[in-house]
Amino acid sequence: MAMPNAELKDNGGGTEPKIGVFVCHCGTNIGGVVDCEKVAKAASTIEGVAVSKDLKYACSDLGQDEIQKAIKEEGLNRIVVASCSPRLHEFTFRNCVEEAGLNPYFMIMVNLREQCSWVHMKEPEDATAKASDLIRMGVERSKLLSSLSPREVAVEPTCLVIGAGIAGIQAALDVAQKGFKTYLVEKEPSIGGHMAQLDKTFPTGDCAICILAPKMVEASRQKNLEILAYSEVVDIDGYVGNFNVKVRMKPRYVDEEKCVGCGVCTEKCPVKVPNEFDVGFGMRKAIYVPFPQAVPLKYTIDAENCRQLQGKKCGACAKACINDAIDYEQQPRDLDLKVGTIIIATGFDTYIPMKKGVYSYWESENVITAMELERLINAAGPTGGHLIRPSDKTEPKRIAFIQCVGSRNHKLGIQHCSRVCCMYAMKNAQIIKEHDPETDIAIYYNDIRAFGKGFEELYHRIRMDYGVEFIRGRPARLTTDPETGNITIRAEETLLAKITERDFDLVVLSVGLLPSQGTMPIQKMLSLPTSPDGFLQELHPKLRPIETAIDGVFICGCAQGPKDIPDSVAQAKATASEASTLMIRSKHVVEPLTASINDELCVGCGLCTDVCPYGAIELQDKDGQIKAVVTEALCHGCGTCAAACPQRAIDQLQFSNRQIMSEISAALSHEKAAGGE
Amino acid sequence: MSYAYFFGCVVPSRYPGVEFAVRWITGPEGLDLETKDISEFSCCPVPGIFYSTDRDTWLALAARNLCLAQRGKNEVMTICNGCFSSLLKATEYLDDPKTRGRTNKVLSKIDKKYIGIPEKMEGSNRRVFKPVSVRHFVDVIYRDVGLDAIKSKVTRPLEGMKVAVHYGCHYLRPTENTTIDDPNNPEKVDEIVRCLGAESVDYEDRLACCGAGGGVRSHVIELANSLTEEKFKNISNEEADVIVTPCPFCLLQFDNAQKAFTKRGIPVIHVAQLMAIAMGVDVKKLGLDLHNVSCYPLLAKIKGV
Amino acid sequence: MSEVEKVFISGLHEKLIEDKVIDESQLDPDFRKEIIKFGGKDVMTCLQCGNCTGVCPISLKIEYKTRTTIKYCQFGMKNATLSTRWVCATCYRCYEHCPADLNPAEVMIALRHIGIREGIIPPFVKRAASNLMGHGLTVRPDESILKEREKIGLPELPQSKPDWESVKEEVVTIIKTTKYDRLLGIRGDEDVSE
Repeated sequence: MAMPNAELKDNGGGTEPKIGVFVCHCGTNIGGVVDCEKVAKAASTIEGVAVSKDLKYACSDLGQDEIQKAIKEEGLNRIVVASCSPRLHEFTFRNCVEEAGLNPYFMIMVNLREQCSWVHMKEPEDATAKASDLIRMGVERSKLLSSLSPREVAVEPTCLVIGAGIAGIQAALDVAQKGFKTYLVEKEPSIGGHMAQLDKTFPTGDCAICILAPKMVEASRQKNLEILAYSEVVDIDGYVGNFNVKVRMKPRYVDEEKCVGCGVCTEKCPVKVPNEFDVGFGMRKAIYVPFPQAVPLKYTIDAENCRQLQGKKCGACAKACINDAIDYEQQPRDLDLKVGTIIIATGFDTYIPMKKGVYSYWESENVITAMELERLINAAGPTGGHLIRPSDKTEPKRIAFIQCVGSRNHKLGIQHCSRVCCMYAMKNAQIIKEHDPETDIAIYYNDIRAFGKGFEELYHRIRMDYGVEFIRGRPARLTTDPETGNITIRAEETLLAKITERDFDLVVLSVGLLPSQGTMPIQKMLSLPTSPDGFLQELHPKLRPIETAIDGVFICGCAQGPKDIPDSVAQAKATASEASTLMIRSKHVVEPLTASINDELCVGCGLCTDVCPYGAIELQDKDGQIKAVVTEALCHGCGTCAAACPQRAIDQLQFSNRQIMSEISAALSHEKAAGGE
Repeated sequence: MSYAYFFGCVVPSRYPGVEFAVRWITGPEGLDLETKDISEFSCCPVPGIFYSTDRDTWLALAARNLCLAQRGKNEVMTICNGCFSSLLKATEYLDDPKTRGRTNKVLSKIDKKYIGIPEKMEGSNRRVFKPVSVRHFVDVIYRDVGLDAIKSKVTRPLEGMKVAVHYGCHYLRPTENTTIDDPNNPEKVDEIVRCLGAESVDYEDRLACCGAGGGVRSHVIELANSLTEEKFKNISNEEADVIVTPCPFCLLQFDNAQKAFTKRGIPVIHVAQLMAIAMGVDVKKLGLDLHNVSCYPLLAKIKGV
Repeated sequence: MSEVEKVFISGLHEKLIEDKVIDESQLDPDFRKEIIKFGGKDVMTCLQCGNCTGVCPISLKIEYKTRTTIKYCQFGMKNATLSTRWVCATCYRCYEHCPADLNPAEVMIALRHIGIREGIIPPFVKRAASNLMGHGLTVRPDESILKEREKIGLPELPQSKPDWESVKEEVVTIIKTTKYDRLLGIRGDEDVSE
């Protein structure tokens, strides 16, 4: 994709390189092993080096001043800073050099710390010799540097948020409030996500929908925010600031303009099917809203179960609707959006236990998952908040929770801890005990993780005030009594080193969190990397938790990893801030250290397109010939394509084949600097 | 690909009827499979003793048996869970070049070398060496022959017979070696039983261990017997007529242990014997008098015997 | 005397025990590495969840449970594992259910290897190995079985034929090459009854 050229900033003075070498002591980090003075002296004898100094701390104000002074006074046009890893101070020295009037890409760094002094701490003499060699290599390479200029791309001040759970809603609200047009795409008929299904939230016991619904309504009223519910993203193309997104709006068979959400249609509908929102426990009609607080409050017809749409005559809802809003002929519509930033908040799915597995989930009616429990104890749920056993609808008096189901298990290939299960089990135990203090509750755990604010206090209260039992042992076998439906759990109480068998009326599996079904298509469209646990991978696990390898694409909430609501909200706000920063500037600077393809040598074999991890190279037709073309904004300068190209048609800017060969020659040369070692 | 019989130690020396049944079923009067006898097969070697005490020795002895099969490019057909697990595990250990080298060094003293069976790669002249294929009799019947073929040979359908299937442990686990059946819900032997006309009863904890393996029967026989007793109780609750198992060692355990805790034992036979009965064999040749728990009540139930 | 009084008064007879502190003299820091050497995985992986004990068929019949044995291995208390080594039926249920992907059955096997090399050799092991050395098989038929075989019409057992000598020789050669006979202290010509 052709990119607009930015202003060139070429001050690369003349053809004769005048190189300045600055060897940093870094206190004793380098200076304690490498003899920096000696190395600097040796470097001064290399051909082309005009200035060679050693500095105590090159990155400090003092050090940077010296570098800038040398540039101005000696007219230096190449700088080699021999210090720490570029990952730390590349930008520091580039800025320093640019301030002195030199193109920042004429500055390169030689790593004397991580690649020299820190790994050869016991061999100072050899380390010093190696430092000299490294500097010599750097000097030779610097002679072949060219001035580069960063490109600028325009940034469309529009944001796309994919997924409308709590994270997506919060992110969309924040971005829209800052004044940017925002699209919030959600595949379900209503926004709200899994949080809408929960009863209460830990550790405070806040009612989930009570705190979520106001945000949902706010989202529907927010200026600049357009909610595209019952829609899916089908294609994403482009790069930062310029993404082309195709959104498919699925047909509700209800005209959204005319529907007022009165509900008469659903009363008349003759078809009853299990309600997905109630995880199969409750029923809904073929024309429905998933839950009463749905936003947008528009009805949807489930085409698979609707009689009319399946060819059998019905039409009850159309007859009943006073606004004539039913439209059986409605077609899916495609929207083409142009956005500058994308926030992915596609959330999680819970683990579904195996058939014929240890926990008898499919065999025994009275073994349920935590999400099913949430619906059963929710006042708006299928039983009106009255907890009953599925088998005989009686009240369970003895309930067991089993932790770490579908988490921390190498046999299932799911190694991660889902982070929220210990707390939600305790929270649910508290709710059940509040309803009926006579209930006996036992939690079978491996480890209790109560790390957050207020978590440990809940853990204490649940034992002190509510008398919940904690059994440390992973259940080995669940057997169901066919007559009573009661379940016997056999487990070793590891703290007593005895095997116990206890009977329960109801067993709740605290299922783990897995990346949602909706995440994978988006991940494939963007070629986003995933972490080993399957969730989308952040750019840096410590310092850049919501950015991705693709500029302009951000992730938040459970799409990035399992987490609870406050952490999801915090991440959502962080992505909104990052996206807004990008869009406020309206121009985004793209690093010029990208791959550069020589069209004359390129034969269009396509090997580079296969190996590029970022999807940044495409084969395009150029005047009847197939050539590889790099989209600089997507290129991360990893060099994989340059290494793979059999025609050597690709060069990595600032690490070109010639430059690297010059380094290798310098390393192997036995040239001894006069007066040096 | 012909099958090389691997009868192991227990069957020829304690329950020869099982050997007859297997030979008859796979022979010309039964399914007429291509089979071969390798008379130089030694003990597999029994994992409870050798795998437990010195892996190198165990592997060398197992590799020796595999070399014999390798010569004729045969698939080894075992009729015992223990032999199956032992030889299969050995092929997996021998996949690692270092281990194979070490073992071949030992085998060189008897002029043998394990290399596997060469197979031509598709579309090229290159050959790869596949490990010797080790199969269990049940798997051969189910996958290679198929239930329909069995059904067509049934002349004595076992109507009304209640069979309790005991799979044994090494048929099901560890799943990184053996994948004949789902370890949580195995079906193959049950389906064979059903296609013979009998009913396979479900009893509590049907996948439990008989207690004999791993050296337990030899070391602490009371422990092995107590586990068998548990199984027996669960099986007799369902009023099964016979216990059927694909492992002769489990068979031996069930056959010998019952007298320690009950006067009315349930007869135990191998899958092959059950199949042979249904396929019309002369029952006198199944060596059922050698079984400690009398098989008479079982035979009395079968029409035409 | 009422029940309550009986309990109260009998409860006063507290039997004292001498429970000692486990100090470093009882711990063997290389035990873990020894287990890995003999084929077990690193016992430190175990998170002590207790699932193995729950599924183990032997667990209710022995004092030290599967999980406790692994804990002793983690700690390095070699001697505490002596009683559990040879009662494992190697059914591998523990491995199937272990969430940390440790194989407790293989650890038991490794413990057996270690025990053998320290001279703790169960007699039945010696017997079976001796049989193998002497006859090429661990189980031998008696007269009644041979008669039955003939009656049924089965071919003669390979071990009854003269070529069996070469099989025996090969087996003995293998055993001698791996020095198994020295490990167990057998010669192959012992008179063993099965």
